[in-house]
Amino acid sequence: MGLVESGKMPKPLTKLLNLSRKYSIWAYQWGLACCAIEMGAAFASPRYDVMRLGVIPFPASPRQADLVIISGTVTDKILPAIRRLYEQMPDPKYVISMGSCANCGGPYWDSYSVTKGVDQVIPVDVYVPGCPPRPEALIEGIALLQERIQNEDMAARWRGAQDVEPIVVG
Amino acid sequence: MADEATTDAEAPEAVTDERREEVLAALTDALGDAVVDSLIKPGLNLWVRVATEAWSEAADVAAARLGFRFFDFLSAIDWLPSPYGRYEDSAVDTPFPPAMPDRSAVEPGYTGGDTRFQVLGSVAKPGTDLRILLKADVPDDDLRIGTWTRTYAGAAWHERETHEMFGITFEGNADLRHLYLPSEFEGHPLRKEFPLLSRVIKPWPGIVDVEPMPGEDDSADSEAEGADA
Repeated sequence: MGLVESGKMPKPLTKLLNLSRKYSIWAYQWGLACCAIEMGAAFASPRYDVMRLGVIPFPASPRQADLVIISGTVTDKILPAIRRLYEQMPDPKYVISMGSCANCGGPYWDSYSVTKGVDQVIPVDVYVPGCPPRPEALIEGIALLQERIQNEDMAARWRGAQDVEPIVVG
Repeated sequence: MADEATTDAEAPEAVTDERREEVLAALTDALGDAVVDSLIKPGLNLWVRVATEAWSEAADVAAARLGFRFFDFLSAIDWLPSPYGRYEDSAVDTPFPPAMPDRSAVEPGYTGGDTRFQVLGSVAKPGTDLRILLKADVPDDDLRIGTWTRTYAGAAWHERETHEMFGITFEGNADLRHLYLPSEFEGHPLRKEFPLLSRVIKPWPGIVDVEPMPGEDDSADSEAEGADA
């Protein structure tokens, strides 16, 4: 990846690389609560069938994943595991925070045990609001993420110079 | 009208529950003075309050002699009124840190109680619909009580949870590590004085964020629309 790091990738090659990344996202499912049911519907049911978008939702471990979907209530107790999961994923990696609980604590905004937003420990690329969001909302989040990947400047991302606002669905 | 009222008043009196009376009699027979108070709701349940030191023994008697071998649950109650007022009604919210309220005004529920904390456990008799809800006071100055794990192995996790949530120690249960909470968690979150810090920082907004039902309060909206037009 010397070319990418140096930032001297020819534009068409970047486009090609981005296109292939966009249509081969390995998505790790991190289901923590009721949102996981909607995620399951979006990923594993023939009605929604996320594989038609090129998302493969069954990597064997986070080390093979490009994307993780944090769906459900994040408690302080599981926070270290989430941090570790994120650190295990190879770059470039993306995070979708699905549902009110993962976004901001949701109905558990005053709880003693619930983390008020998973973005406190890992950077989130796409927020999918809802309690829980419908599978269509999650799929829209994935589609918006694919759009971003398509237009991404890999060299800037490699340097860490990329400063982009997270996507909020809806 | 007067006749109907008297029959209504008499009707509950007439109902008796021999099966639960028998259970209570057998329990009292075995435990003697340790049965402090009891209540039978015919056809529903049996509540028995036992002395603190007889807590473990009561479970033994229920399981071994009376056949209540199914352990249902074990937990505790904090009878202290909330020092933070009623959160849902911001008008009576109290500032932080709050003054500790007087718990003497609080009714301690079925079969009474003299202390702030009470433990309660439910056991059932397989093959019947009979259950006993056992309660016991936990001394205010020494939050210790016997364990049920010698009788019901399944009580171990319930005691761990009660220990982390209320800070009550079950003597004889050697493994009282945190069960649900992170191991470094400080405090006992189900105690009434445990502060929910999010609410201290941002007071509960009351019901201002609830929209009126359609047709319930749309006069203001229609006036605004009229002004725009």
